[in-house]
Amino acid sequence: MSRRRVLALAKRIVHQFRRDHRSLFLLIVVPIIVLSLLGWIYRGSARSVTVAVVDQGSSPLAAQIVQGLQQDGTVKVRQMDAAAATSAVDRGDVDAVLTLPADLKVTLGAPPQQIQLTLEGSDPGTTGTVLAALNRTLPQTIVKAVSPAGLPIQLAPVFLHGGPQFDQLDYFAPVFIGFFGFFFVFLLTSVSFLRERMEGSIERLIVSPLSRGEIVLGYVLGFALFATLQSVVMVLFAVYVLRIHYAGHIGLVFLFTILLTLGAVNLGIFLSTFARTELQVVQFIPIVIVPQGLLSGIIWPIAALPRPLQWLSDVMPLTYANQALRGVMIRGDGLASLWVNVTVLVGFAVLMVVLGTSTLRRETA
Amino acid sequence: METMEPVETVIDAQDVTRRFGDIQALDGITLRVPRGVIYGLLGPSGSGKTTFIRILAGALRASSGTVTLLGRPQPSRANAAHIGYMTQTAAMYPDLSLRENLEFFGALYGLEGRRLSERIEEIAGEVGLGDRLAGPLHTFSGGMRQRASLCCALLHEPDLLILDEPTVGLDPVLRRAFWDRFRRLADVGRTLVVSSHVMDEAERCDVLGFVRDGRLLASDSPAALRQLTGQTSLEDAFLVLAGEPAAIAEGGVR
Repeated sequence: MSRRRVLALAKRIVHQFRRDHRSLFLLIVVPIIVLSLLGWIYRGSARSVTVAVVDQGSSPLAAQIVQGLQQDGTVKVRQMDAAAATSAVDRGDVDAVLTLPADLKVTLGAPPQQIQLTLEGSDPGTTGTVLAALNRTLPQTIVKAVSPAGLPIQLAPVFLHGGPQFDQLDYFAPVFIGFFGFFFVFLLTSVSFLRERMEGSIERLIVSPLSRGEIVLGYVLGFALFATLQSVVMVLFAVYVLRIHYAGHIGLVFLFTILLTLGAVNLGIFLSTFARTELQVVQFIPIVIVPQGLLSGIIWPIAALPRPLQWLSDVMPLTYANQALRGVMIRGDGLASLWVNVTVLVGFAVLMVVLGTSTLRRETA
Repeated sequence: METMEPVETVIDAQDVTRRFGDIQALDGITLRVPRGVIYGLLGPSGSGKTTFIRILAGALRASSGTVTLLGRPQPSRANAAHIGYMTQTAAMYPDLSLRENLEFFGALYGLEGRRLSERIEEIAGEVGLGDRLAGPLHTFSGGMRQRASLCCALLHEPDLLILDEPTVGLDPVLRRAFWDRFRRLADVGRTLVVSSHVMDEAERCDVLGFVRDGRLLASDSPAALRQLTGQTSLEDAFLVLAGEPAAIAEGGVR
């Protein structure tokens, strides 16, 4: 094993990358664009849902309900007369019509009064937003009308992790960092290794003093550099620009993304042996990447999956990386509670190094 | 580079065969190549030249038989540093400059620092690419790429050069330049194996091996082959040895 030869190979990969602006864009800029989009989706103001309020009598309670709805902030409130509201909801200009009766007041012991809510109803998301806003504000407002202190018994949430500000982006950003690392590095290594074979340069490498192990190591080193760069950029962007929730040690985030991408480099080398064209490399994506995207707990928690799918999750490297990344970033886990994840990811990387090296050996057989 | 006892026989191939599935690409090739000669492997495309060359270079294993290079069995890592290999394709990195390509391959052979950069200037200058070192290879023409590939094979001053159709597609001027260079290398004690399917290149070799259907039909000097077959042209000599003397009367087939 010659350090000089391994470094020469790693250096060549760096040179090639520097020239290859598309791949650099894919590796560095695309994840940032996707993370920004996610941030926008989860945190940007949603398409506003509008509720038309038809106040038939200007009772004090009606005014309080309107005020409560406005303060809730999830729906826009527009006061209208009954006829205008009916045609507006019909046209879809407003999403619901809340009709507050003239004699609206709280009378304890009397039979319940009804407030009519007419929903446009064709979009379950919008319907849900309207109902949720009313279900939050109505009880509060009604109780306040009787007792100014509000609800006599209130929930006092205590968060072990996360917090009241913790949102979807905080939950998804850590695993997206792992997923992008794995996906892009896998794609770039397998294509780059395939090119080596297509251009015939692999033949020169095999005939040279370079050993198979040195080839794999040089590739790992060269790509690990860019994988590290990618994860540094993504983590810094997520933490300092998107301001995602972040509890653990930043070094651990890098450790897990790098361990994962080391596996991805060697998986790329290994699988590129079974491809003859770039299209065939792309054909591996539905087999290698998509199932891991679905089953590694990115979107659906593994515990919620049917039992046989959980078994599949258990053999996927991304599962262990995702668990660790969420653990570190959300709960602030340390190495002590993540050693299983480290072991599995190291094991996967080693297994792929062995497989990658052995397929290179086939090259001369 | 380590010092070695002068070995008279640089290549010793014994009964080399190679099968790819059902296809018998090489069928018992035995030949010896002494130091300082240009050995020409001639034969039509598909005759097994490239397979044999790849086995010599250590890129492929023989199905049976042995190859000894410089006194060591091939493939062997110890041989690698003493071999310069040029494949039919350029087999370099199109997005890197010529200098970066040569720096990479040079480093694999243990060249570094001043020595490496001097060697790169020298070798690129010799093939007329001295002013193109900074250019990426994908901007090179076919002939320039072939010269770049030759640079790559010569960079580490190997004892044995294995060149697979190095002159294919070159214009006559360049082709002559290539052969003049081969001759000068042989004159200083380097050994060359050059494959070709162009018969007029045969004349420039010291020893010729005629290959057809994976078999070595004959292996001797051009003069001896003419004498053996009673033909004046090497092309006709090949046809006689290939058992198709009738083709000569019809004006020669390749």
